[in-house]
Amino acid sequence: MLSAINKLADRLIGLSAVLGSIGLIVEVMVILVDVTGRYFGKPLTGAQDISQMTMVIIVFGGMALCDKLGGHISVDIFEYFFPPRVLWLGDVIAPLLGGVIFCGIAWTVWESAALSRMLNLATNIIYLPKAWFQYVVVVLSAITAFGMFTRALGIALSGKPVSHQLDKAI
Amino acid sequence: MSPAAIGLAGMGILLVLLALRVPVAFAMFAVGFGGNAILNGFPAALSLTASESFTLASSAELIVVPLFILMGNVATETGMSRRLYDAAYATIGSVRGGLASATVIGCGGFAALSGSSVASALTMGKVSLGEMDRFKYDPRLSTGVVAAGGTLGILIPPSTGFVIYAILAQESIGRLFLAGVLPGLLLLGMFVLTVSILCWFFPKMGPAGPKTSLRDKARGIAGAAPILTIIVLTIGGIYGGLFSPVEAAAVGAGLVIIFGFIGRTLTLRGLWNATRDSVVTTSTVMLILIAAHMINPFLALSHIPQTIGGFLSGLDLPAVGILLVIMLCYLVLGCFLEGFAMLVLSMPIFYPIITQLGIDPIWFGVLVVLTLEMGLISPPVGVNVFIVKSVAKDVPIGKIFAGVMPFWFAMLVTLGLLVAFPQISLFLPNSMIN
Amino acid sequence: ETLKLAHWVPPAHTLTKSTIEPLKNGVEADTNGDLTIDVFPGGELGKGPLEQYVRAVQGVADIVWGLQGYTSSQFPRTMVSELPSVLPDGKAGYDILWDAYDAGQISGEFPGTVPLALWLSEPNIFIMKDRDIRKPEDLKGLKIRVSGSAAAAIIEALGATPVQMPAGEIYNSLQTGLIDGVVTGASAVADFKLDEVANSYTIGAPLGRISFYLVMNKAKYDSLSDASKKAIDDHSGRKLSASAEEGWNAKAKATVEALKATGDNTVIELSDDDIAAFGELTVPVTQKIVSEIGAEDVYATMTGQ
Ligand code: NA
Ligand code: NA
Repeated sequence: MLSAINKLADRLIGLSAVLGSIGLIVEVMVILVDVTGRYFGKPLTGAQDISQMTMVIIVFGGMALCDKLGGHISVDIFEYFFPPRVLWLGDVIAPLLGGVIFCGIAWTVWESAALSRMLNLATNIIYLPKAWFQYVVVVLSAITAFGMFTRALGIALSGKPVSHQLDKAI
Repeated sequence: MSPAAIGLAGMGILLVLLALRVPVAFAMFAVGFGGNAILNGFPAALSLTASESFTLASSAELIVVPLFILMGNVATETGMSRRLYDAAYATIGSVRGGLASATVIGCGGFAALSGSSVASALTMGKVSLGEMDRFKYDPRLSTGVVAAGGTLGILIPPSTGFVIYAILAQESIGRLFLAGVLPGLLLLGMFVLTVSILCWFFPKMGPAGPKTSLRDKARGIAGAAPILTIIVLTIGGIYGGLFSPVEAAAVGAGLVIIFGFIGRTLTLRGLWNATRDSVVTTSTVMLILIAAHMINPFLALSHIPQTIGGFLSGLDLPAVGILLVIMLCYLVLGCFLEGFAMLVLSMPIFYPIITQLGIDPIWFGVLVVLTLEMGLISPPVGVNVFIVKSVAKDVPIGKIFAGVMPFWFAMLVTLGLLVAFPQISLFLPNSMIN
Repeated sequence: ETLKLAHWVPPAHTLTKSTIEPLKNGVEADTNGDLTIDVFPGGELGKGPLEQYVRAVQGVADIVWGLQGYTSSQFPRTMVSELPSVLPDGKAGYDILWDAYDAGQISGEFPGTVPLALWLSEPNIFIMKDRDIRKPEDLKGLKIRVSGSAAAAIIEALGATPVQMPAGEIYNSLQTGLIDGVVTGASAVADFKLDEVANSYTIGAPLGRISFYLVMNKAKYDSLSDASKKAIDDHSGRKLSASAEEGWNAKAKATVEALKATGDNTVIELSDDDIAAFGELTVPVTQKIVSEIGAEDVYATMTGQ
């Protein structure tokens, strides 16, 4: 059961990262096309609209993998003073808190997308609907939250803290 | 509880969460959310969660973040960073700490094309940390140098910090940019001096390399030709009006990729890995910035800046005394707040006090930007330190904070010099613009 | 009770004296301080001008200031007021906005809020670096910064290339020559320090204007006591809008005079013939946009036809 959940989480996390990576490549190309075109008097219409909305996909696409790789930075200075049991508790609580935060982001952005649709919000030049990109954020945040909860469960069951750097804290 | 007391309590809780190893972004997010919920209602806090997440993630200015990370990653993947540091090692590697000094100078150069400290620290970190490691430099020195050197991005023009200050204070952007030049060079010099002193007392921090012949030096520099060409093209393109500093990040990344394919040092797989890695680092950094912006409205609602302002205007001190107290406030606020958030919150309060005292607003701008830079590396919320950590995964954050301390003191000395000698800041703007 | 008013410009901006203070002082005096307004400038309650309207709807702030042009997809009909030649000579911008609002032609674009003020800026002008614009041909192939699709259409109609960039980048881009100029109101020159890098200004061409709003959360407004509501009503609407618009016009006038007084600037005031030459190209854009969005009724009300 747990391994099936882990497998699903891993697959979704991988997909998010792929989406973010494609976004970054698109970002580079859009700006290069715009810069080159502008030199010849033909800038890419809506280049800024596209690059700003693509940025959203990059930022949230990497969130889940970032957490899985332990990329979210914490201050480990006081590690030395805590017994392993406390460290373990902290290691369980951190992804739980992260999961709650990303559930919160997913939910509030979902609500906000409804408002965007009501107000007909879109980018300013080529009118890319804001709600589309907000729904992408919702999905990517939900995957991030799912990944975080899965990780919290794994650490909780293992009974051991994740990282221990007692010998080289400072 | 008064709003100010709630604000202080919030900062206390933030400290506790950080000490408990809760990830920095999560801790700031939670405190920011809670504070807004208490002072402005739960629905407002929920609305803020959605708007700050989306606004920061779609910010036109922050597009440089993933692009410069990609440039740094691909430069490393293709071996361009390696050859750049081989060149530096051949040139000044025989001096103790030579590579660290070269990195500081590189940070200064990067600052001339980027207006952001975050982008400077990220890119220079990607390019240099692995290389200094290769030459057996102490990670405390290498990470400290990059975190501190990266802050030069907002002192040496162009600078987002000065632009925000200028618009908030209704001052001249051109004068502020000029005012930042000499202090920027002075600080750069102080950083090099700090490296030299550290390596003089602790030779193992930046071990000296073998003496090299003129021929070795020339060969080293020739090897770095591709990356040097890219840097020159990128800077030239900005000042020649071909593209903006934000677009320069994409042009730089694009050029590194093209050079990599032409020189057959980059494979599609390598590019894909570098891209994925860049996306992950982007998420790390952006979540911290989003969380920092959750704290900002909380502190505005707590009226802490107003409380400090009221206290200051009641003080019976000479102008310099008030100025020093304000600097002290900035140093303390800088421990908790992200730099630009701090600027936005504090300017409406401090700026009228400053002008009333007859203090030159351009000079004050330079002092403020320098204190912002110090805030970027001071614990517990040192954004540049977190950024270096996101690049140097296996260095404990305590080591990075320890590593930046000498540089923080170098900045404090520089701040003292700038307060004592306003001419360092004002000479260029006063002589070149009237 | 205290209302939170949020905006994103510095406290020294024209907005404070022309718009916020009349409302704040009036309301506080009429209610003997029962209803006060707490101002959060500089984006203190949240980053970015794009989210201002949403902040009011969701109650992060009770009153917000904003530009329709930042989220133009929300205000297609209101923004007819921004187009070239819509505002008739001798009429005030706020009047045509409120005429259309009172006729129910644009009120649907302000859901969830009560507009407290709607007004127009002074006319847009050409703000150029090293290029003098006297006739439309002078713009051929030049790169001009625009912020929205209507402005882009106008620039294209004049034969120039519209370039999109964030407001914070205009200064650097003018300096390096990435763009040759900007089209916006004279009052914005000082806001973005453009006078430091631009040196030629052309006044008089029909390039449209910029429209602004000050709105209040509707639920909050409805929850107030009758006395508080009356105080707000008495100090908002056309009266507050007039004060705001006067503030913008005064700032623009002072800016143009300062530009003329500075020796190294060229300030070109177009003759009627030149104005007509620009109008031949820009006024059809107005017609095209009005018929595209089906806003003939709004156009008729605003132009007084
Ligand atoms: Na810079
Ligand atoms: Na700090």
